[in-house]
Amino acid sequence: MMLGTTPGGGLLAFALALPVLAMLLAFVAGGRQAGRIALAALLAGLVLSLAVATGVLRGGEALVLTLGGWAPPLGVALRADGISAVMLLTTSVVMVGTALFAFTSYSGDRGESRASLVFWTLLLGLWGAMNAVLLGNDLFNLYVALELLTFAAMPLVCLDGRAETLAAALRYLFFALLGSLLYLLGVALLYGAYGTLDIVLLSRLTRADAPTLVAAALMTAGLLAKTALFPLHLWLPGAHAGAPAAASAVLSALVVKAPFFLVLRLWFDVMPELATGLAPQILAGLGALAILFGSALALRQARLKLLVAYSTVAQIGYLFLMFPLAGAAGATLAGAWTGGMLQAVSHALAKAAMFLGAGLIAEALGHDRLRDLGGAARLLPMTVVAFGLGGLSLMGLPPSGGFVAKWLLLNAAIETQQWWWGLVLLSGGLLTGGYVFRVLSASMAGPAAAAVAVVSPGRQAVVLVLAILSVVLGLLPLASFGLVQIGRLAP
Amino acid sequence: MTGMLLLATPLLPMAMAMACVSATLRTRMMEWLVLAPLPGLAAALLAVGGPPLVLDADGARFTLELSPPAAMLLGATALLWSLAGAYAATYLRDDPAKGRFAVSWLLTLAGSLGVFLADDLATFYLAFALVSLAAYGLVVQDGTKRAHRAGVIYLVLAVLGEICLLLAFALLHAATSGDSLAIRDAVAALPTAPARPWIVTLLILGFGLKAGLVPLHVWLPLAHPAAPMPASAVLSGAIVKAGIIGLIRFLPFGENLPGWGEVLAAMGLFTAFYGVAIGITQANPKTVLAYSSVSQMGVTVALLGLALAGGQVGWVRLAAFYAVHHVLAKGAMFLAVGVVAGCGGTRLRWVLLPVGLLVLAFGGLPLTGGGVAKLAVKDVFAGPWLGALSSLSAVGTTVLMVHFLLRLQLLGSGQPQERPAPGLVWPFLTLAAAALLGPWALYLGTGIGSLEKALGGAELWAGVWPVLLGLVLALGLHRWGWRLPAVPEGDVLVLTRRAPALLSACGDRLERGEVVLRQWPVAASALLGLAVLLVLAMWQAA
Repeated sequence: MMLGTTPGGGLLAFALALPVLAMLLAFVAGGRQAGRIALAALLAGLVLSLAVATGVLRGGEALVLTLGGWAPPLGVALRADGISAVMLLTTSVVMVGTALFAFTSYSGDRGESRASLVFWTLLLGLWGAMNAVLLGNDLFNLYVALELLTFAAMPLVCLDGRAETLAAALRYLFFALLGSLLYLLGVALLYGAYGTLDIVLLSRLTRADAPTLVAAALMTAGLLAKTALFPLHLWLPGAHAGAPAAASAVLSALVVKAPFFLVLRLWFDVMPELATGLAPQILAGLGALAILFGSALALRQARLKLLVAYSTVAQIGYLFLMFPLAGAAGATLAGAWTGGMLQAVSHALAKAAMFLGAGLIAEALGHDRLRDLGGAARLLPMTVVAFGLGGLSLMGLPPSGGFVAKWLLLNAAIETQQWWWGLVLLSGGLLTGGYVFRVLSASMAGPAAAAVAVVSPGRQAVVLVLAILSVVLGLLPLASFGLVQIGRLAP
Repeated sequence: MTGMLLLATPLLPMAMAMACVSATLRTRMMEWLVLAPLPGLAAALLAVGGPPLVLDADGARFTLELSPPAAMLLGATALLWSLAGAYAATYLRDDPAKGRFAVSWLLTLAGSLGVFLADDLATFYLAFALVSLAAYGLVVQDGTKRAHRAGVIYLVLAVLGEICLLLAFALLHAATSGDSLAIRDAVAALPTAPARPWIVTLLILGFGLKAGLVPLHVWLPLAHPAAPMPASAVLSGAIVKAGIIGLIRFLPFGENLPGWGEVLAAMGLFTAFYGVAIGITQANPKTVLAYSSVSQMGVTVALLGLALAGGQVGWVRLAAFYAVHHVLAKGAMFLAVGVVAGCGGTRLRWVLLPVGLLVLAFGGLPLTGGGVAKLAVKDVFAGPWLGALSSLSAVGTTVLMVHFLLRLQLLGSGQPQERPAPGLVWPFLTLAAAALLGPWALYLGTGIGSLEKALGGAELWAGVWPVLLGLVLALGLHRWGWRLPAVPEGDVLVLTRRAPALLSACGDRLERGEVVLRQWPVAASALLGLAVLLVLAMWQAA
């Protein structure tokens, strides 16, 4: 079967073109208009990603667009299967939330039109790169998309120009480049071995010979560096905690998911046989260490944004429990697959809410020291509630999306008799409860704190809506999660 | 109609909690707490054994159903919540944080009543988590250091309990054929489940923690005295019953589960005596009541254990009936503490009179609500050993409760003209009356036993002598021997007093490790090492 454009495949071109066009338009119109243009484009993008998701769900198969009508291996295809559609939608929702949150801070009104222009164009660039990662079907194109993502994300970290954030951004950049290098090396090996980099074609060709395995290992290691899986997380806390709140939200919610998404592509689409044996146990083992280590360190942080950043280190770990569970005994277990994707989505929504909430608290109090957080709950009740709801999802308490995700993974662990991953899941929940509790109890103590800046209720509402979405995710009927199973290449 | 009642039982308190988003409603919510449990009370009276309510949104089922043992507990619990809510409106009238209290109260209430109705694993877990976690807000309401310590310990144990239950439910679900989440299917699969010992252990841990089974009881004597009076009443009367209903719903009574019934019965009886032994060393009347709750829940769990061991499904109803008396009487006792604290002179005697009656009822004095509760479970504690233990437990309970009464009267304000607020008195008196008469109505109304049996001479004597002996012992103890050791609240918890320092040392280690991991050479070698490791692992698989 050659890949041909499917009905609705044209939508995918728009998903790539829209961010780029909006970016160009923002450059032309300048900093004062950039926010409006970005917001309009993101709203259009939300509609578009809804259309893609509906298209995939209705058709029951992946949407494909062969660019210029040339089918791979000659041409390059864009492909949106179920997980692409889900992540595309998540990206749009988080992006729209972030844009609404940042709209007044980067309005370019008070003579700061340069900062405004930089922020909005980078955000649009990051969005475009995300979409390219999610829709790409060619490993080299994915490399390019991944690099674009890093180059858009890195300056967002040091947007405020302070020396320490600059150092954190460079740290991020260097380590990400190291990861890219390994990935590129793997891509070259694969091209040498098979003469194509198209994922669908490769999925039928790959053999378990030396070049392929070395390529897979190099690519995986490179992607893990970019997704900050323990012990490769050295760049994450500084970068995510130092960035402005709006940037932290997209970095933690979305950007670290992109390389993870490619690991999924590699392991479950390109070479499904990888997901058996010892290798997936190694990934999940690192994930387990990330959960325990990251959560325990989050518990020890003195600053709210660092706490949330270490929580990201931990929550990334949960994603990697998917590998031995969904690939057990050669058969892909639908429950674990759904659970892992649901974890990615619910973490994206919850973490965006928590970083934006932490940003609001820091803005209102003038600092984010946990010790002096007392009274924040009276000052910003909606924000603290949002933080708590996000925490509910991270802990995996019902009825949140995080609960359903962890329940599915736990069931898969029991069904495949790998109960130790279940224990990791549960103890991670206990530690998570600990650090969420620390924030909530600190902010609820004492009378209303003195505010150094007024925070608009509208921005608080944005944070609350994102948090509510992460909880409501758990109330969706299970059947609607079937979307993530559509278009999988593994049998 | 009955379906709507079932649905309204958890949803009305939830909706009221949501309404607290509005600041105006939040400040006035305390006055309406009395109404929140009324759908639950109506459901207990009207919806027993009705068809289950299934909300089936594409297979994600939410099922509510009311079985007869659950209905008894639901009715008593709802009544307690309602009266304690009325009491709270007066008791916390001047508390600036009463809005926050109302939210915690309503959420805990929704979960507390929800556990009696939930008929599938997901709904049950949701309700159980809600009652466990929201109650934290009730424990720490006073904002004192002691309340915070109690709150943190409560929360840690509650989350550990949740984890045990989640694991148990997941194991049960794996053993259940098909995709059913219904509790009855899960329970039916339990006796043949491959992980049976694990499941039962986890269930006992999770539910025992909530019910205060020794040594998982440590949160009760910390949380009950620290919470405001009406919150203590619902903690002790209603919230611990979530553990009891959990055991009732999830243990396969009438099935073959060798050994477990005996284990549970032994744990329960040990708890029953342990609670008395530690309780009599306590000076704070609220702490004494907490230990009495531990002891009484021990008796209830022992009843369930015997029902499991004997394969007697019918005894489950008797255990629930026994617990019903505890819901009402213990709730009334806690409310009494607040009434007495604002009471002096001769009025104090008028308040202590119904309290004294309740004290004797706890010991099982015939003709009282407690007497009929003891009478109903007499057949379960059959045989010379169990009978003697049961009577001995009644003696112990009497001693403990008389000790409570003696400590309580010291709490009187000492100012003869001070009178307690009517808003505190009427809920207390109503609840006391319900505790004395309610069990009778159930006993005769649901056919647990007959009037002739209750009034038989032998039965009367069997009920009276432990109370008399207890009275004598308690007075003797009071007169001659207060040389008991001073046991701290939460007794065995002292074993963990070094835990914070140990944890902190572990944390320091972790932070030092993190500094090492974040060095460039370490991270870069980790990256390359990982690549090599992956090649080797993949090679081995291929």
